[in-house]
Amino acid sequence: MQRLLDKGLEELTTMVYKMGKAAEKAVAISIRGFLENKDTSNDVHELSEILVGNTVEVEEKAFSLIAKYQPVASDLRIINSYMKVAYDFERYGRYAWDISFISTRFNGQSTCDKWIFEYVEKMAEKVLKMVEISINSIKSLDTELVKKMTKNEQGVDDMYLEYLGKLVKQAGITNECTVSSTLVVRYLERIADHATHIMEAVVYIATGEKVTLR
Amino acid sequence: MNASFGKVQVLKGINLNFPENRVTAIMGPSGCGKTTLIRCLNRIHELTPNAKVEGEVILDGVNIYSPQVDPVAIRRRIGMVFQKANPFPTMSIYDNAIAGLKLAGVRNKEMLDSVAERSLRMAFLWDEVKDDLKKSGVNLSGGQQQRLCIARTLAVEPEVILMDEPCSALDPIATAKIEESIVALKKEFTIIIVTHNMQQAARVSDFTAFMYLGQLIEFDKTSEVFENPKSELTEKYITGKFG
Repeated sequence: MQRLLDKGLEELTTMVYKMGKAAEKAVAISIRGFLENKDTSNDVHELSEILVGNTVEVEEKAFSLIAKYQPVASDLRIINSYMKVAYDFERYGRYAWDISFISTRFNGQSTCDKWIFEYVEKMAEKVLKMVEISINSIKSLDTELVKKMTKNEQGVDDMYLEYLGKLVKQAGITNECTVSSTLVVRYLERIADHATHIMEAVVYIATGEKVTLR
Repeated sequence: MNASFGKVQVLKGINLNFPENRVTAIMGPSGCGKTTLIRCLNRIHELTPNAKVEGEVILDGVNIYSPQVDPVAIRRRIGMVFQKANPFPTMSIYDNAIAGLKLAGVRNKEMLDSVAERSLRMAFLWDEVKDDLKKSGVNLSGGQQQRLCIARTLAVEPEVILMDEPCSALDPIATAKIEESIVALKKEFTIIIVTHNMQQAARVSDFTAFMYLGQLIEFDKTSEVFENPKSELTEKYITGKFG
């Protein structure tokens, strides 16, 4: 028997999942823009603004379900977590826009050495994988997979610090490249953090266990 | 504890510890044995023909089912508020409040006045009835009648108060007042409340027991039961996925 609440939860899940896909697209476009030296700021800004609006819609829907049905147990965990996850997706969008904005504003990547592109690309691959898994796990609730991703988060953090160390030691890098690439790897590190928050929320939804995967 | 009516066993091996000065809610579907359980806790169950109880109820280290224990005295120490408010119809508000004391032979007017005021205050009713104490208790609203019954229970200074769906016939405002009094009363009493209303259990209780088909399925802090129940049966019941 389908409860009245089930329809609302299905709608909320669809809203959050679509939001995740839009956020993933924003991150992917912004990184490609940096790596291919293309101006993606308008497209990514548009997606980022949509995500801001989506967060409000998710909150409104969640509040309406709480007010109407007073959900408990797994229902309550889902609604509570989705509100947090929506905010994390909004942050994906914001950092994606930051990446594309910085790339366009300073155009620093045009002066970067090849190794820097390779480094950012490698780091971006890890982050995009985390983003993808964080979004898909909302539907799959695969707690084993998200727990395994903890290593990726640590890997991204390590790469971020390693990059800063390399920049300090490396001579001959332009100021524009230093500013652009440093901010981009910083934003990637932040996106990975939000992916981890989402994966923690997935574990909480599935098991009720409040974990820290960082 | 096991309990039965004739050959029908309604409680099956219940083992439960009610924490002192806390509110414990007992919930479960109709017929799961909630009311029978609390009626066993103050020896009212045995008053029903063919009713039988096996096991122990320990209060302050003493089994209340021991042959040496007087069941009438136990019912004074473990008071009960019923689903339907049942003030004595021929008595005034004042007399209802102190009915238990009068039955126990107390005649001191000053003492009776003091207890009446104290218990009516504790039941959050004093301000509404202080000028009408001589009026009949049955002229009060449903919610006020129920609070009068709570005051009557409090007047004999029990240690434990059992409440059997005390708000099921009340409107939301009257329910809120009873709930307010339940939360305030736990400072002095241990309260066990049977309720069908899960939101009420979540609002007023510190611990929650979930029963199904005469068995205790889960007992935990209320916040745990409502956020992360351990039993799948509890999860299904509280989320309305039962049946």
